[in-house]
Amino acid sequence: MSVQVGREAPTFTAQAFHQGKAKDINLADYRGKWLMLCFYPADFTCV
Amino acid sequence: MDSNFSHKVWQEVELSKMVKGGIPYPMVADLGGKIGTLYGVYDDVKGVDVRGRFLIDPDGIVQAMEVLTPPVGRNVAEVLRQLQAYQHHQKTLELMPSGWQPGKPTLPPETETLTRAGHVWEIWKPDLAF
Repeated sequence: MSVQVGREAPTFTAQAFHQGKAKDINLADYRGKWLMLCFYPADFTCV
Repeated sequence: MDSNFSHKVWQEVELSKMVKGGIPYPMVADLGGKIGTLYGVYDDVKGVDVRGRFLIDPDGIVQAMEVLTPPVGRNVAEVLRQLQAYQHHQKTLELMPSGWQPGKPTLPPETETLTRAGHVWEIWKPDLAF
């Protein structure tokens, strides 16, 4: 499945590093807010 | 792509020296490129997520996206401009022509656009695109 503008963003759950701690993130937790989802090839590269 | 451990080291060794306290938002571990695959930005030959950026509105709808190959970085000012434009649209239903910046002329909501066909030139000039 690919992403299309004007359609719902695919939700997912994943581990994340936030404010010094590991936590689980679910995309659906951000409903009600604008969200920017950014991908980049690897840590220690420019973004 | 990287693990939480790698994110932690990057935050401590480098990012916290660029931004006080490190970057404030969550850094997701996309091990195996599962999320990248879901969003069509996983390069399975190189085994990396390319530079994809998705702007998602409060209803969970993707409003804008940009995908670049790794050598070129993104332009933060353009993302912010798009965010402001979509927020303005959702509030007023007005349309934002090419190059729109906050405070610059907008076009009337879609329902009125047809009656204005042929009159856009009175509102919008090509130099506003830049």
